[in-house]
Amino acid sequence: MAKNESSGERSQTIKNQIRRLRFDNGQMTQQQLADAAGVTRQTIIAIEAGKYAPSLTLAFKIAKAFDVPIGQVFQYQQDSS
Amino acid sequence: MNKTQKTAWVSLAMTVLLIAFSIRWIIMAFTATVIPKSTLLLWLSLFGAIAALGFILFRKKQSPAEVDFDERDKLIKRKAVQISYISLWVLLIAASLVASTIVGDAELIPVSALPPVLFLIFLIVTLVWSVAILVQYGRGCKDGEK
Repeated sequence: MAKNESSGERSQTIKNQIRRLRFDNGQMTQQQLADAAGVTRQTIIAIEAGKYAPSLTLAFKIAKAFDVPIGQVFQYQQDSS
Repeated sequence: MNKTQKTAWVSLAMTVLLIAFSIRWIIMAFTATVIPKSTLLLWLSLFGAIAALGFILFRKKQSPAEVDFDERDKLIKRKAVQISYISLWVLLIAASLVASTIVGDAELIPVSALPPVLFLIFLIVTLVWSVAILVQYGRGCKDGEK
């Protein structure tokens, strides 16, 4: 889950379903998804692991690669702490 | 390993070698000795070999369709530049304080020591840039399945 934190705010996390969607789409490889989204495989790996939060443009490109709405790929969660 | 990482590794190797050379150059400047030609040729050869290796091996793409540089690489490079800029300020302040503390306000520093000191500062900034890039990439997860 990619985290965005600033002092005084609640912790915000962005979850994604990229790994599940890849397997649901004919066992799509990370390289294939990276080629479809126009990024490196390392970036896809980092996004899947929640180490990197993609830009809006990239998020839409990934959703388009799966042919699903962006909300099915990325979910925003706000944790109260 | 993408192109940015490979560039950072080559840069790291070159700067480490050049830092060692610069330190020796500074010592020679303070002791008023001359660098032997053979030593100079050896250093230049090593530097040229690393540069050639980097140019030949890391310039070519693994495949034509491979993406060289994406938004994450851009972000990592930008952060590395910011970190190296901060290190430049730290080095300049440190160099000023060290010179005053070690040599003393009443002492003199040979003019011939100035170029290698400035070169060394530049090299350390480049080293910080390379390390910052490699650390940021290293913080990502290991390569997953294809």
